[in-house]
Amino acid sequence: MRTLVVGMGLLLASPAAAQQSALLPPYQGAYQPHGVDEIGLWREYDEDERTLGASSLVVRDEPLSTYLRRVLCDTVGEDRCASVRIYIVRAPIFNASMAPNGTMRVFTGLFLRVRNEAELATILAHEFGHFERRHGLDKFRARRSASDAAAWMALLTSLGPTYQTMQSYQNFQLAVYGGLFRYGRDQEREADRLGIAYLNQSHLQPRSASAVWQHVMEEAEASARAKGLKKPNFRTIAFADSHPPDAERAAYLADLAAPDGPDREDGTERYRTALAPFLPQFLDDQIKLNDFGASDYLIQNLATAGWTATLWLKRGDLYRTRGNPRDLSAAADFYASAVKLDPTLAEAHRGLGLALMKTGRPSEAAASLQTYLSLRPDAVDAGMIKMLIPGDTTK
Amino acid sequence: MTKRTALRAAIALAAVATLAAPADAHKLAEKGKAVTVAASNLSVTPTRDWNRLSRKVGKHAENWTVDGEQLDEVTFHAAIEPGEPLMRERSKKKEPLPKFRNDMLLAEVPELLERTYRAGKDARDFQLSESAPGKFLGRDGVTFSYQVTDNDGLIRKGEARAAIVDGKLYLVTFDAPRLHYFDLLAEDARALMASATL
Repeated sequence: MRTLVVGMGLLLASPAAAQQSALLPPYQGAYQPHGVDEIGLWREYDEDERTLGASSLVVRDEPLSTYLRRVLCDTVGEDRCASVRIYIVRAPIFNASMAPNGTMRVFTGLFLRVRNEAELATILAHEFGHFERRHGLDKFRARRSASDAAAWMALLTSLGPTYQTMQSYQNFQLAVYGGLFRYGRDQEREADRLGIAYLNQSHLQPRSASAVWQHVMEEAEASARAKGLKKPNFRTIAFADSHPPDAERAAYLADLAAPDGPDREDGTERYRTALAPFLPQFLDDQIKLNDFGASDYLIQNLATAGWTATLWLKRGDLYRTRGNPRDLSAAADFYASAVKLDPTLAEAHRGLGLALMKTGRPSEAAASLQTYLSLRPDAVDAGMIKMLIPGDTTK
Repeated sequence: MTKRTALRAAIALAAVATLAAPADAHKLAEKGKAVTVAASNLSVTPTRDWNRLSRKVGKHAENWTVDGEQLDEVTFHAAIEPGEPLMRERSKKKEPLPKFRNDMLLAEVPELLERTYRAGKDARDFQLSESAPGKFLGRDGVTFSYQVTDNDGLIRKGEARAAIVDGKLYLVTFDAPRLHYFDLLAEDARALMASATL
């Protein structure tokens, strides 16, 4: 019976099922590791999780963690979700991962690349798909046997180090790791299909999966354009590294979504509310990476549901720190928009003052900097800002 | 394996071992002796012995340390011209670092260092603790302190002084783990910064 259920699950997840929307195989309950490979692997992951639990890079915030867990549980169902611990890791990259023992890592950069709950659920569901199919173990076994073979080949090569054997060693290495790479991709496809099956049975729009990938491709293009590169390097995106080519995946994700999908809600408001307290910090981590094209694309993408004072402020910071004369006047406009939406936003007054100072409007600049200091008299850089205000008597 | 191939392997091994030996060793900066640093006219007089690391972190940059650069590190950035980054870039085209600009205000120097740390050293967090006017190289400069979190979660404290002289940026930083090591050498590092002249 068990074999039949698994068989059905595989059948549903196969490309032949692509004609109809993806369905979910029944959940098999809490899983315990079997065999030396798996028990050993779990022990390593448990150790990793202990290290992670004590790390200063984990964002420990109850409302955000609760929200993330709620989204995951709504998507994959209460029974499945009980086996997962979620850790939010401070890193400005688009990534999420799930270890076989149930440790889910969500990188803070992910929050900037999804615009609503449905898109967030897509990524979480995909990672959960890897977990449910126990891809980690397969990957470990493949990697171990591949590296065993590579180690033997290296030993044999070192016995007679001629140019030709070195050449064949390199070819061999390419073949082994190349194979591993393709193998990973098939697993990614399977996780994608399973991920969309979770979304089909949730209350969220399953179509959003393709939107996330579309945006990741556009971000890479924007980044390359701003750097003056001919074509974007999709390999530099952590999440896309071992994943199927984005164009292929965007197409099959659209095929598998449930037909009533587009009529469902996408949870934009709930997502924006949950993220709001963290948006300034996460955006700051991004814009200070010196990747102008990607950062500007992300800010504008987040603003499709409406500009906020924070988004204007961070766009101003991004342009001011690039610092071309045209950037400085653009930055002044962005800061002014931020101030209009929220006159108490101290950092926007500071940015506006600095941008005006450098575009040759010192008296307007002084007024803005004065406002910054009156809103934030104990600012860490108050001393430096006072120096920029001519005739300031509080020096 | 024949005798001949064994001999050949031994010679190859010896050749590799010779290459792996340090080509240029680190130097010592002795207490009380003035030295110029970072291939520039910036001169300092240390109040204790420091190790000058031979690795080149940038065109106009030099590292000093006492117990090893992971535990305490002074970095001199001297005579940085407009359009130049603080550190060497891994890839000028694909991973450019932020550049010093000729219209940069002293109040913006801490931001330049923060962006360099985030883009060039993969720092995950950077909190400015204080930024105030302070004399450096006998000019009006900026003195600032910060706390920076590495990509492995280690938290370091840092202190820096900077001044812009004839359109060029001079910046000296001292970074060390917040736990124990920062306080251990902070006074020596401050004395080293205070001794800097052009």
